[in-house]
Amino acid sequence: MTSTTEQRFVGVDIQESEQNRAVVEAIEETNPDCTVQHLPGLVRIKCAGKIVITRDSVEEKLGRDWETHEFQMAIVSYFGHIKDWDDDEIVIAWDH
Amino acid sequence: MQYELRTQVIEPKRKTFDNLVARYGDRPASRYQEGSIDIQATENFHFRPLWAPDKEIYDETFSVLRLTDPYSFLDPRQYYYAPYVTSRAGMFDAFSATLDYLEERGMFDRLPQAWSDLFQTVVLPLRHYESAAQMVSCDTARFGFGTTITQCAAYAAFDRVGNAQLISRVGISLGGGSADLLDAAKTRWLDDGALQPLRRLAEELLVERDWGKSLVALDVADQLLYPLLYTYLDEAALNGGAGSYSLIAQHLSHWFKDQRRWLDALYRAWTTDPELGETNKVLLAEIVETALAKAQGAAGALASRADQLVTSGCPAAVTQSAANIREFFLALGVPMREEKP
Repeated sequence: MTSTTEQRFVGVDIQESEQNRAVVEAIEETNPDCTVQHLPGLVRIKCAGKIVITRDSVEEKLGRDWETHEFQMAIVSYFGHIKDWDDDEIVIAWDH
Repeated sequence: MQYELRTQVIEPKRKTFDNLVARYGDRPASRYQEGSIDIQATENFHFRPLWAPDKEIYDETFSVLRLTDPYSFLDPRQYYYAPYVTSRAGMFDAFSATLDYLEERGMFDRLPQAWSDLFQTVVLPLRHYESAAQMVSCDTARFGFGTTITQCAAYAAFDRVGNAQLISRVGISLGGGSADLLDAAKTRWLDDGALQPLRRLAEELLVERDWGKSLVALDVADQLLYPLLYTYLDEAALNGGAGSYSLIAQHLSHWFKDQRRWLDALYRAWTTDPELGETNKVLLAEIVETALAKAQGAAGALASRADQLVTSGCPAAVTQSAANIREFFLALGVPMREEKP
């Protein structure tokens, strides 16, 4: 039995810190179906099919300007494929 | 001997303080939230304010503008001590770098006479306006209710000292290292006809007892002065060969953008309050109308002076800013009067 790209999980592991908490909250809000798991020092966000991180939502939570390349400083690992990474959003999803 | 490595998750006993759990649910809170929400003292006041027998020492009714829940307003910048200080240190360093550059290259000596006069007769005296603005902001920090508001006001007060200092350093630099120009600016602030409406405005704000009214009125005056002096004239300076004016102005207009963020959020909180929103709208309409009439007179006098000195169109820039203020409040549902055609 195989699962479709919509069913399979994608996820990111984010280092737990004061700064990154805003990023986690923003991802939770943008992706209401995601599950958040707290591991020692990490937060794993998992979602079936797709995870979207938008600049606007992170900026609102963070209270300052945020550029999507700063996401690199927050993530420890991820699974899925980074489909889109531009100035306004990052999309993680499976290609096939 | 074999070791088995495994991770063990230890759930913290508490994620944050109980008052934050009650508000936002059982999740880790940000430092801004932990240091700002529900901090305002509300009970067990030991000292009575004998100068205001009908009030507590910290009292919600020191202003007519109120919020059902003072913490429905949050600073969009989320400033508490550390981020505020970091941000301002950055601004100060940037300004110092600009000033060093201007001094090194003798840029103030190359300033066209008209722009040098503008600095001396219009901009330098405004350090006293900034000083008054600092007192008004301190008043909000003392009498305001709700830490999220008073915290912003306290930082704004520090900012105003910073702005005054920035203007002073320009004055000293322009005067070749002496404070003579600052002394002359003080005399102008007290005697020059073009500055008297603004001085009157500033001094009346100092004796306004309602912190909400003085905060709004100060902001209305700022919204006419800052765009005129540091945006409109910045543009004109670049066209008029006064690069150093522009280099200085950018720092003040940059600060003003930052200042607008919390004030605009506060206006939104006041007007969207579930219970007091409608009352606040009516109150704001009256406060803004009164403030606008006075501020337009004060800024208009400065604009005419700038018009004579450097470039035309300054009074029109003030009129435009006033129209923008009306538009902003109308969009929030504040019943402003129709503008006279």
